[in-house]
Amino acid sequence: MNFRQKMILTASIAMAFVFGITPVTNAMHIMEGYLPPAFSIAWGAICIPFLAMGYFALKKTIENDRRSITLIAMAGAFIFVVSSLKIPSVTGSCSHMTGTGLGAILLGASSVSILGIIVLIFQAVLLAHGGLTTLGANTFSMAIAGPLVSFGLYKLCTKLKVNKYVSVFLAASFGDLFTYCVTSLQLALAYPSQVGGVQVSAAKFLAVFAPTQLPLAIIEGILSVLVIIGLETYAASELRGIGFLKVGEQ
Amino acid sequence: MEKIVVIGTIFIMVSILWSAVNWRFFNPNQAGHSHRYKFRHNHGEGVSIDYYAYASKIKHWNPTFKVSFSMMTLVLCIALDNPYVSMFVIAAMAYITIVKGKLPLREYLRVLAIPITFILLSIVAIIFDFSKVPTGLYDLPIGFGYIFTSNAMLKTGLYLMLKVFAAISALQMMTLSTPSSEIISVLRKAHVPKLVIELMNMIYRYIFILLEVSTKMKNAADSRLGNCDFRTSCSTFGNIGANLLVISMKKANAYYDAMESRCYDGDFIFYEEVKAVDKKLIIKAGVFMVTLIIIWHYTHL
Amino acid sequence: MKKTILKVENLHYAYWNGKVALEDVSVDIHEGEKIAVMGSNGSGKSTFFLNMNGVFTPEHGKITYRDTLVTKKTLKELRKNIGIVFQDADNQIVTSTVRAEVGFGPMNLKLPIEEVHERVEEALTYMNITDFKDRPPHYLSGGEKKRVSIASILSMKPEIIIFDEPTAALDPLNAKMLEEVLAKLGSEGKTMLLSTHDVDLAYRWAERVLVFNAGKIIADGTPLEIFKDQPILKQANLKKPMLLELYEMLVQNELLEDTAVYPKTTEAFKAVVENNVILLSNLA
Repeated sequence: MNFRQKMILTASIAMAFVFGITPVTNAMHIMEGYLPPAFSIAWGAICIPFLAMGYFALKKTIENDRRSITLIAMAGAFIFVVSSLKIPSVTGSCSHMTGTGLGAILLGASSVSILGIIVLIFQAVLLAHGGLTTLGANTFSMAIAGPLVSFGLYKLCTKLKVNKYVSVFLAASFGDLFTYCVTSLQLALAYPSQVGGVQVSAAKFLAVFAPTQLPLAIIEGILSVLVIIGLETYAASELRGIGFLKVGEQ
Repeated sequence: MEKIVVIGTIFIMVSILWSAVNWRFFNPNQAGHSHRYKFRHNHGEGVSIDYYAYASKIKHWNPTFKVSFSMMTLVLCIALDNPYVSMFVIAAMAYITIVKGKLPLREYLRVLAIPITFILLSIVAIIFDFSKVPTGLYDLPIGFGYIFTSNAMLKTGLYLMLKVFAAISALQMMTLSTPSSEIISVLRKAHVPKLVIELMNMIYRYIFILLEVSTKMKNAADSRLGNCDFRTSCSTFGNIGANLLVISMKKANAYYDAMESRCYDGDFIFYEEVKAVDKKLIIKAGVFMVTLIIIWHYTHL
Repeated sequence: MKKTILKVENLHYAYWNGKVALEDVSVDIHEGEKIAVMGSNGSGKSTFFLNMNGVFTPEHGKITYRDTLVTKKTLKELRKNIGIVFQDADNQIVTSTVRAEVGFGPMNLKLPIEEVHERVEEALTYMNITDFKDRPPHYLSGGEKKRVSIASILSMKPEIIIFDEPTAALDPLNAKMLEEVLAKLGSEGKTMLLSTHDVDLAYRWAERVLVFNAGKIIADGTPLEIFKDQPILKQANLKKPMLLELYEMLVQNELLEDTAVYPKTTEAFKAVVENNVILLSNLA
């Protein structure tokens, strides 16, 4: 029992450290060097078809209208900057949204894959979030899986004639949640639990990241709605006038 | 020998934690204290990393060399998966960045500490496990079962952490000494599709434009109490985000005009300085790689 | 008569939303002219510049550059020879180092790399920015960015340089630097157009003034002709340059002999006043 008490003490100190320090709570970028080589390569390979699709969609858009290249690049920079803005939080810790859900709603899922991988490279290089060997895994969870869910949900909600803001909220939040689930699964596949295998390990990863990721998903949803409301107030005619809303949409 | 690794890891953790804590608690008081604090205070940590790339004393090294050196080190690091290799890489990269590149130690530690939350959380998930019955190792009863850990699991966690830090320091050796424009030009030489390169170049430039705009808007909002409570700060955020997009669209058009007026016809070709490859450096890098493999050869199980 | 470089005839331009920006604009630009383009915000100056450079395609009207009518085929020739320094340097600088920015135009002209190198070095030296050629534009000050944007036009060696409100948002020191550059370019016989709201600058710098109002050129003449024309000034919401007003006031009150030599700089004004000490002593 004495030893167990020690363990409890140690565990609580560890927990205090984890939740007390958290200088930056980010979207879940898997860190550089975290994944074994086989997983790095496999996730990269899984991304290739999606990236190719996004590449050809973008290429077509740009060939049709050369001028759209600056717009698309601005959209990429916008995703980066939105994801680096400190978002409001209750606890005072500092966190960021992913911005890719919003990007998918505005631009369509296919273009976001290419912009997403570029943004992830810059996040790795400029902000030290994520990394190059884990680029494949991160691209899959953040620039492909999340945006696909956001885009799909948004389209579905529009079809079902759900209130627009509710659909944006659902799309952005669930996109975020899905990213978080995919990332946990990616981590679990690479580091399965000795006793329970991948399932238990996935549960563990989901559990440790839940305190930071669940509120983040809700905030991401709220903020995406607010950005959309803002856009409609300031720039509805402009958005339509230059066809920005249509870039990349099928 | 294993004890050395464990002690080393703990030392690295403590020093990084120390700098993280230090950074968080002391930095606000120093905001605006010097040039670089001002930078960070205004734009978040992002700009200061890029800033150090321009200030680095090894900026003149050939960028292709730096990128491939860092990439090969990274690959060796995760492929060999060996704590001794990791420690050697951490030491070597710190030497290159701090001693050769003349980056202040504090700043280096601060950059390494950025991903600390992720590392700690994910390592917690790896070193603890659930079981219905006590395993006889280190058990912690939680009602319906036990959270347990073992020496082997702790070791896995520590080694993983070492590997992650080694990989991060290899990546940071590159990013803290190579401006992004040069990294992009290396990617072009590696035959990444032209469209992607063009987009990367433009996005890189636009990021700074938009960051500046967003900082200005944020300050303007702060000055009018736009962040006084959670509700207002949410709506302020929404407004800033929306405005940022509107501005970015307007700017996009202006940029295209400016490019077209200078005969841009859809082909981004950059004029860049050619930095000579230093043969000595290549030999040193080769020796370094071989050393890593030798270390691995004599220590792996 | 000086040779005509650029002949603009009956230019019409409307935005995508149907708003007419330029209406029947005709103007000839001759070698070595220093032209100030004035007019309130939204009067069509910037649109005119972008048309002159071929970025915007006019609805109808002709632009002739050195006896060649500008068409899609000859567009590049036009852009090569007419450089625009945009108002906001931050909207112009596209690359991530100063060196690449200055080399952007020459590279687009597909010049051999040695030539590009030479031109870049020359332009950097001309604008005195050799020291920060490797710096990224986002770590430069406003005045430095302006100099970079000018160097990036100079490196293309255009025949005509257009400055779109170059002094806007510059501090007095940088504005002075800009005027020195303008003077230096002028002494080399460069043809320049400059849009500005600063009547004093237009008065002392320009040889010719174009006044835009609601998409039309409502006046074209020497600074003196324009600034003495009260109805035009009123229509275009311009005011009289300070030195001109002062001079006229002194003449009107018979404190200064009307020599019809209008001083355009404070130095020249001082000289005129000093030559008229006798008249001024009447005041006493």
